[in-house]
Parts: sequence; C-alpha cells; structure tokens
Amino acid sequence: MKKIALAALFIIGVISVKAQDVTVDQILDTYFENVGGREAWSKVEGYSMKANVDAQGMTIPIDMVNLKDGRMVTKFTFQGKEFVQQAFDGETTWSVSFMTMKAEKGESEDTENYKRTISEFPDALLKHKENGYTIELDGEDTKDGVDCYKLKVTKKTQLVEGEEKENIVYYYMDKENFVPIMQEQEMMSGQMKGQIAQTLFSDYQEVEGLYFPFSMTYQTEGGGGQTIQVESMKLNPEVDDSIFMFPAEEVTEEGEEK
Amino acid sequence: MKLLSTLFIVGCGLSLHAQGIEKLNGDALFGDMQARHIGPALMSGRVSDIEGHPTDSKTVYIGTAGGGVWKSNDGGVMFNPIFDDHCQSIGCVAIDPASPDKTLWVGTGEVWTRNSTSIGDGIYKTTNGGKTWDKMGLEKSDRISAIRIHPENSDVLFVGVQGALWGPNEERGVYKTTDGGVTWEKIFYIDENTGCSELIMDPVNPDILYASFWEHRRTAWSFSSGGDNSALYKSTDAGKTWNKIHKGFPEGKFGRIAVAIAPSNTSILYSVIESEDKNLSGMYRSEDAGATWKHLNADFGLVVRPFYFSRIVIHPTNPDIVVKAGLFGSISRDGGNTFRSLGSMHPDIHDIWFDVKDPDKLFVGTDGGLYRSLNLGNTMEIIENLPICQFYHISVDDQEPYNIYGGLQDNGSWFGPSSSPGGVEARDWEVIGVGDGFRVYPHPTKPHIMYSEMQGANAIWRYDDKVRQTRIVKPFPVEGDPKLRFNWNAAITTSLNEPDRLYVGSQFLHKSDDMGNTWTKISPDLTTNDKAKQQQEESGGLSRDNSGAENHCTIFTIAESGLDQNVIWVGTDDGNVQVTKDGGKTWVNTTQNIAGLPANTWCYHIEASSFNKGTAYAVFDGHTSNDKNTYCYKTTDYGQTWTSIITNDVYGFARSFQEDYVNPDLLFLGTEFGLYVTLNGGKNWVKFENNMPATAIHYLEMHKRTNDLIMGTHGRGIIILDDVSPLRQVTNEVVAKNLHFMETKAFEMSEESTFGGTSSETQFVGRNPYDGAKVIYYLSKRHTFGKMTMKVLDSEGNFVTSLTPGKKKGINIVGWNFTSNVPVVAKGKTITFGGMVAPRVPAGTYKIVIEKGKETYESTVEVKYDKNSIFTLAERKKQQDVVRKLYNMTEELAYMVYQLDTYMENGEATAKDNAKLSKTVAGMKTEMNTLKETLVITTGDNYVGSAENQLRENMGDLYSTVADYDGEPSSTQMENLKKIEGEMETARQTFEKIKGKSLKKYLDSLEKMELKKPILKSYEEFVKKD
Repeated sequence: MKKIALAALFIIGVISVKAQDVTVDQILDTYFENVGGREAWSKVEGYSMKANVDAQGMTIPIDMVNLKDGRMVTKFTFQGKEFVQQAFDGETTWSVSFMTMKAEKGESEDTENYKRTISEFPDALLKHKENGYTIELDGEDTKDGVDCYKLKVTKKTQLVEGEEKENIVYYYMDKENFVPIMQEQEMMSGQMKGQIAQTLFSDYQEVEGLYFPFSMTYQTEGGGGQTIQVESMKLNPEVDDSIFMFPAEEVTEEGEEK
Repeated sequence: MKLLSTLFIVGCGLSLHAQGIEKLNGDALFGDMQARHIGPALMSGRVSDIEGHPTDSKTVYIGTAGGGVWKSNDGGVMFNPIFDDHCQSIGCVAIDPASPDKTLWVGTGEVWTRNSTSIGDGIYKTTNGGKTWDKMGLEKSDRISAIRIHPENSDVLFVGVQGALWGPNEERGVYKTTDGGVTWEKIFYIDENTGCSELIMDPVNPDILYASFWEHRRTAWSFSSGGDNSALYKSTDAGKTWNKIHKGFPEGKFGRIAVAIAPSNTSILYSVIESEDKNLSGMYRSEDAGATWKHLNADFGLVVRPFYFSRIVIHPTNPDIVVKAGLFGSISRDGGNTFRSLGSMHPDIHDIWFDVKDPDKLFVGTDGGLYRSLNLGNTMEIIENLPICQFYHISVDDQEPYNIYGGLQDNGSWFGPSSSPGGVEARDWEVIGVGDGFRVYPHPTKPHIMYSEMQGANAIWRYDDKVRQTRIVKPFPVEGDPKLRFNWNAAITTSLNEPDRLYVGSQFLHKSDDMGNTWTKISPDLTTNDKAKQQQEESGGLSRDNSGAENHCTIFTIAESGLDQNVIWVGTDDGNVQVTKDGGKTWVNTTQNIAGLPANTWCYHIEASSFNKGTAYAVFDGHTSNDKNTYCYKTTDYGQTWTSIITNDVYGFARSFQEDYVNPDLLFLGTEFGLYVTLNGGKNWVKFENNMPATAIHYLEMHKRTNDLIMGTHGRGIIILDDVSPLRQVTNEVVAKNLHFMETKAFEMSEESTFGGTSSETQFVGRNPYDGAKVIYYLSKRHTFGKMTMKVLDSEGNFVTSLTPGKKKGINIVGWNFTSNVPVVAKGKTITFGGMVAPRVPAGTYKIVIEKGKETYESTVEVKYDKNSIFTLAERKKQQDVVRKLYNMTEELAYMVYQLDTYMENGEATAKDNAKLSKTVAGMKTEMNTLKETLVITTGDNYVGSAENQLRENMGDLYSTVADYDGEPSSTQMENLKKIEGEMETARQTFEKIKGKSLKKYLDSLEKMELKKPILKSYEEFVKKD
C-alpha cells in the first residue's frame, strides 16, 4: 500500500508539473494515500492527544479527546489545576471560566455551528462528498515559501449573528507531498471580522499507521500566533463518558476541593 | 516510517537543484520578515470614492488615492484593507447589485487629477467579497472614473475610462462588456485627449446612460482643463448611440462636467459644469431627464477647482437634497437653489455616501480621511483607523527609539517615534508644519531642532522643539538674483559632514552653515531653465489654477557625499544630474552620459554611495511625461558613465532608492507599486510583499543603528521593515544549506516600563518592533515532516527555556523575551498570578539548539543589559540571588503541597477499602489539611471571590515583584522575605512533625497490612522542565 502511495506521489508530481491538469480528486487521493489511506482513516472512531503550548517561559500542557460522534474535550493544566477550554457533550458546548472556575455553556450559535462540523470527523477532506461539501481547485499559491495547490472547501453554511452565511475554508496542499500545510478562513464576527485566520500544519508524524500534524500554529494573517505542539497521540482511545459532560450542578462547594 | 523517510529523500532531491539567490522569489526568501505599519492615522489621507452595499448598510467600501480599497463590516466603525496586492490608486469601487455580498469591481487610477496623483493599471474583480482579485483588463486605462453594472445581469458592465492624465491615450471613453469582463468593447470614444470623467446609469432603466467627457492634460509644468471636446452625452439604447444634452448650458468650451441622477426620481438630474463664462458655471438641474437644463447656482463651493471636485451625490429618497464635493462640501435642501457648507472637517471633499437605511447618516471622503455624520452632514466625526496618509518624504534621527520625520499631502509636517509603549498611537505624533508638508529633517546633532517646509518653499521653518518656536529660514533672492524657482516639493537636505549645514534647491543650490540664517548660492542655474516651462500663471485651462504645484525647472534632489563634503550631487525635475567635486565651485552636467534615459526625465532621487565617493545611484521618474518605465542608474566614476540596474523583475516607475550601509550589493527600490530588493547589486530584483501593500513609495531611508528600512509611502503612511541585516547574509552558499543561522548583534534587555497605550478599540495603533532577542535562520526547505524543537541553554548547557521554531522555507525569525521559565507552583483552589512570572536571564551568551529530525543545529545568542540601566552589577546580583531563593522556595512549597495531596488522596482511597485504616487516615488528613490551609488558598475563585492569601500567594507576590525589577530588592521586600522564610521554615517543621507522627503511622500501617505505599515523584522529577 505504501509503495503504491509513493508511486502515486511521483506520478502525480510529474503530471502536475508538466500538464498542470491535476484534479481535486487526484490531490485528495494522493494526500490520503500519503497519510495512511482512506480506509484506515475511515476506521478512526476517535483520538486523544497530549500537547503543549509554549508561552515564553511557561509550558502549558493540553489534553484533547475527540470522538466520531462529536463529543470532545480540550483541557489545559495550569498550576496543577485543570481547565476545560472547550467541550461538547453531545448537547452543548461548554468551557470553564478562568475567573470563577465554573463551567459555562457556550453561546447557542457556537454550539449549533460546532454541531454542523461533527460529520467531518476525522478530517473534513475525507468525506466531503457525503457531507455535501464542494471542493474546488482554486489555483496555486505559495505559503511558507512552499508551492501549494489551493483548495476551496465550501462547507455547510454557518450561523453568524443569527444569519446563515457561507462557510469557506481554503486548504493549501504542498505540491511536493500533497499534505495540507495551511488553512485559511475569514473571521466572521467580532472586532477582527473580515480578517483572515490561518492554521499552519507541520511536524507530521505517524500514529498507528496514520500521519497527523504534530504542530499546529493558529495566527491571523500577518500577525502573531500560538503553536500547539503534540507530544503523543492515540487512536480510538477508551475514555470515560463523564469527561465530556457539562457539570449538572456546581459540584464543588466552598471550602472543599473537588 | 519508511514512507516518511522516503518523503524526506524526495523532498531533499527536489530542493537541491532549485537553489541560488537569483532563483528565489519573495516567498522563498523573506520568510518571517514582515513590514510593520505605524501610520499615523490621526490625519488620515485622501479618500477618492465611497460605495455602500445596496441593502446592508453595515457594509461600506472606500477607495483611496494611494492606499487601496478598505472594507467595513460594521457600518463604518472599523475598516480593513482588502486590495493590498494591487495598484493602490483607486478611481472607483462598484458593487454588483445582483451579487452584492460577493462581486465587487475596482477601477484603478484616481480621477481627482492633482499634480501628485498616482496612476492606475486596469480594472479588477472579486467574486468572494474581496478576498482575492483578478485583473480584468483595461491595463492602459490609467484612470477609471465609473463602473456601472446592469442590475439584472452581472455580465453586463459599462465602464467610464478617463484615461491618461499626462499624455494622449487611446484607451479612453466608454467600454462595455457582456461577458463579465473577459472582453471589452469601446462603445464611445471622442479622441485621445478627451476621457470619460463620469458615467451614470438610470437606476430604473439600465439602457439609459449619461456620460461626461473631459478634455484635459497635465504636464510637469502646466495643467489644462477644458476644450471643444468636453461635453455631456446621453444614450437611451444601452450605449449604441450617444447625443449631446446641452440645452440650457452656455455656449463655448467646457471643462470638467459632473452629473448625477436622483435615485428617487430618474427625471431629475443635476450637473455641475466648468465653462468659459464663469457666471454660468456651477450647478444645473434638469427635470426632464437631461432634455433641458436650468442654471441654479455659481457659488464658490460649486465652481471651485473642477478637476479636484466633480462629484454630485443625491439623497436616496429626496431628490431635492443634493451634495456637491468641494473645498468644504456643499449641501442643498431646496433642489440645488441654495447651499450651505457641510459640517466642520478636513477640507477637500471628494465623495459622499448616504446610508441606504437611514439617509440622515452619511459618509464623506476628504483629503484628510473619511468622516461620518449622523445628522445629514451638520456635525462630522472622523474614522480613526485609516492609516492612508500620503508622505512625500521622510527622514530619521538617532534617538532611542528613533523618530521619523515627514511631510504629507495636504496634512502638514510631522514627527513621531518608531516605537512607543503600547504601540505607536495618534498621541505620539507632533505637528511641525502646516499646509502641504514635504521634506522634514532633524538637525543631525541637536535633537530639538528640526526643519520643515510647505508647498513651493513658501515657508521653510526651523523649529525648536525645546521652546516651541518657529522661524522661517528659507533663502530669499538677493540683489541681482532672478526669481527663485522652488519645486512644489522643494529640495532640502542636511549634511552628513557638518551638522549645522542645510541645503535648499531652487534653480540654484543654496547652502547655509548656520542652520539657515545665512545663505550662499553655490551653483549657477542647474536646470535647463526652459522658459516655455515657466508659465505657471497661465496654468489651469478654463479655471486658472496656479497653486505652485506646476513650478518647474527646479532642483528636486540634493545629495552631499558622506565621504567628502565637497562632492555634491544635484538632480532636477527637468532631467539634469549635476555633480561638483569642489564644494560647488565647478559643476558637471552628467545627463548626456545616461544611455537609454529619455531627455528631461525627472530626476527624483540621487543616493550618494557610502562606500565610494565617486559612486552614486540616480532614480528617474518619467510618469509626468506619460512614461511609466523604471529608471535607476549607477555610476562609479562621478557620472562619467552610468549603468542601468533595473531588470524586468521590477514593475512600475520608481521614485526612491536605498543602498545598504554594509553590503554594497543589497539595494532597495521603491516603485509606484511597492518595494523591490536586490541581493546582487541589481542583477535581479525580488518584490517584498510580507504585510507590504503595493503602495507608492516616495522615499526610503535606512536607520544605521537598527538596520531598519523605513518607507515613506504615498497612501499607507510609514511602513518599517525592521532590521534588514539578515538579507546581508543571504548568499548562494547559505541558501544551499539545510539550515543556516544568521549572525545577530547582541540583544539588549530593555528595562523600560511597559505602561502605555491610551487608544480606544476604534483607533489605529502602530505595532511596535519585537524587543526581545531574535534567533534568525534560513531554511532551504519548509519543515513539514518529523519533529522539530528549539531550546535555549545557558553557557554551561543548562536548560533555560524552549521556543517554538519557525519552519518556513526562507528566513525564520524566532523571538525570545529573555526569560527562563516559571517555577512549578503549589496546587491550590485558585491560581496565583505570582507563579506566572519567569525570571529574566542574566547577560551572557546563550546556546540555541534546534533538533530537526535526526539533525541538531546549534548557534548562540548574546544578551546584554540595558545600556541606560541605572543598576550596578552588584545590585543585579542581589536581585538575582533573591529571585533564585524565592523561585526555589516556591518549588519547595509546591513539592510539599504535592506530597500532602498525594498522601491524603492515597489515604482516602485506601481507607475506602480498608475500614481499619479510616481513623489513622482521618487523623493524618486533619493534620495535613491544617498545614495545607496555611500554605495555599483552598477556597474562592480567581476574581473578586478570592480568599485570603496564604504562604503560596504571599511568596508569589514577593517573587514576582522582585523578579520584575532588575535592581536591588528594597528593604521592605527584604524584610518581607525574612517573614516568608520564617513561615516557610515553620511549614517545613510542621511537615517534618507530620512525617514523624501521623504520616509515619499511616505508612507503617500500610506496611503491616502489606498494602502498597503511595509512589511519589522525586523532587527533581517534580520540578523538571526540559
């Protein structure tokens, strides 16, 4: 399988240079072949990862779990305390306030928009057709000094301040090895509305036969960013359902450690 | 893993043959080097066009004279640039009514044709709301006045092309496309001198079009508006046939004609005409769709400078409310019979936009930015986040941080800092000249003295900032002198050799060695002195316009060699390059030695080389002769021979140039469409586009101490490319290596307070440069596969901190803010802010280690103390010792709490299954909790619900305040330290007691019952960071 993938990489590489007629399907097929194969990707039921964020002198550990049914939790540990930065329990998104250390529900619009992305799991490019996404080859561009194919991925609409708005994400696929090295999306609300949010992918590493980016940098175009460095990753982890649940009531009482 | 390694091999193989600096494009070279915009935005700049969404009033676009297109998504509160990759001079913006959220057209080339206006290069289209743009032709149109889109068919457009300002141009007239801009048909054309200056479409019947045609021409020395061919036309058959509609207009020649149709009643039109009969110029109204016209008004506000103010905008629902652009802007509420001025704002109004939902709200575009009114133009407020000001020139001083000085189109002269606590804000800028501002210079050694000027050297000021006094110091004619001719943007410069020296250029070169008090002419007339080009009082055409903007046959650039004060270069606006080697006694005109340069091409800038006194670079700008080629020449023999250093890589005519001070092959060129860099003396050029718009760069300056390249742009304010020294080091050898560390100078740890920043969210704030250490390296290939890490180690190899490495192909810059790492802090109910402080490292040499796959790359970074520091080394040592003590104590405390928590959790769990142990565990827990409650906060939250501080919090407070100040800790802090040390000692003793009693009892019981003892991390393991 891997040999075939490599052959495909060569063939498509040559075709793309000479004929300039590479198709979206060829790009995606080669991408998935290079990162472990569509079949193996389709079997992923969930993954968990341990990662770090370096903030000049502070290394903040992060734990993430994402499941196929959409449930997910991202926790970070700070001074020994765990904070849920983002979670979804099947019903609602929630997080823990840094001020009160209590769980608070996400805005309903954010929850709804998150729900619309659940069927993408584990990769929006994998089942885009079933999900009704359209992907077009929107030319070529250079990102991080690398020549890339630019894929325009039109997803289901998203809610922005109560209105249905189109949801477009651009993927930049390295022309040499066909993996995405960057994503771009316009910010739809807030003070930064209209500006471009970028996610950079690198440090691809193998996890049980599949390749994942172990480094993800989130930044605004031309601005500063924050990198999540993955330390370890596990496929189909066994997890306790309770980690996703919005705490029914405040479980800690004044004066008592949970 | 086999695949992965194969990918690596494939990657390496492909990258090997693609190297060599000639082959690098900007993306693969400049990497993390980013341009930094500092505005300012307080005076903003010229807005040439405003366009709003037809139904959603939150979406507003503006086109600017030199700063591109900006979009607001929030009803005009905040604006973002959306056209940075393309020509920044905007004629018009149009929204497709059938697809208003997505499809937008931009016609480039401003149509308000002042002397300093830039040029356009065609029409552009976006189908995604401005994220990406395609050029759709009309490349030679030069200026596009209007784009009208069929309301039901997005493929049908009519475009008014005003055309070239500076010469004849066949690509004028009305163009039509029926295939969305793929092909264009010129459907109406008068002649090569008469362009379409306005085109409007009947909003009800798109087959009805009105077009005004304007015969006009600028030269560098004159302007002419009007002629037999200026006229107003109408078509009722979608542009197939056109008829003049002048019934009611006066006889004779016309100049520029404005026209507008009332959206609420398409029979009503307004027109403002420039005619031979001044009394019959001004506002006309038609109530029969242009069949007949009635003259209403020839007030100043309606007839003033038609070339600059020919826009009429009518209220969306009331056809009797009409606004005319002008010096102050005029609004009528009685159908154009009488007018009053719009509310107070920056003069020179170019366009108006009424909010579609609430027409009392309107926007106004001026020479000084965009204004908003909520009461039909009575009071105006400026939008404060549009840094679109137009610098003609800039200079820098040597203060810390250095200041930048410059003059602006219609916005005076200013200076402001290159960085400021909280960012460069409006309040950081100081005005030191009025009118139009041009060259502004600081005195080279007296930082409180500066020179500025206004148009045509009507004033040259020497300003003393210490006493806030100005004195006009311009050279006056003396007995026997002819009239002195000064350019609109008159040449002034200071000397690198004599600090009190000032040069001013008229047609003569004037020199003063006493800061402008006394002047000596040190040259004859250095220009061509062509009398035909000196008739400015005749300039303007139908409307006289002698503002000084057309003054010609003047000196425009002066450069005294820094290596020899007797070598002075002078360039004139009529194409002469003159040089003296004897301080002005004799002059040689070297112009005839410049092969390939058309005669009389404006010499815009001469740069005297800092490497060799016979070497200079001369930049010529031919655009005022309708020549848009790029000209930059180099001489190494005092102008006896000149060689072009321009290649096909460069797009757009150039005005500015900068030679690097260290690497003579590193050169910078500022063109009308952005910045170009060469690493090899001009063999090839690379465009710099990282956060750098394609804006006109009128002046380039390099700061010697910081190696910053500073750009005075004519449309986007001041843009700085911080520290270009990495570019000096890019060679063929470097780019062939996998990873190459660039040498950096020692980095200074600033001890300045970071307080600052008073701007609100809606005000522009210029970004500061990064003020930490920078690790700079070149990667020949982007790192995509496998692990890559970066660490800082001290000179003994101890771990200091980890950094996130850059992975781009090209130059990577990784910042390090001189800190080591935060202490491990005891876990409590809340977090402690004291534990977020990482101590700064002491001065010294630090090792940088990058691990990339199997390879390790090492370099060093040198860190030194702030040279302005008030601290002695002994004081620092005391601080560092106390910080270290508190850091260690914090971690010791953390470990103690960790042990307590571990034992208590273990005890609780064990007791659950072994009831026998519950009493022992309960006893142990009581003792441990009693101790723990004195060590950390165990209740409350992180905000105002916080509980009383305990030892961890008090220790953290002291630690962070001592760590925050690099000098000796205060006596109070030392006394507090003693107290905390005492409390820590008490805690230690209490813990020892517990260990000896209740904990021992518990552990012994476990042993006896053959139960597992809790496993604890060792202290070293607990505090480990790398």
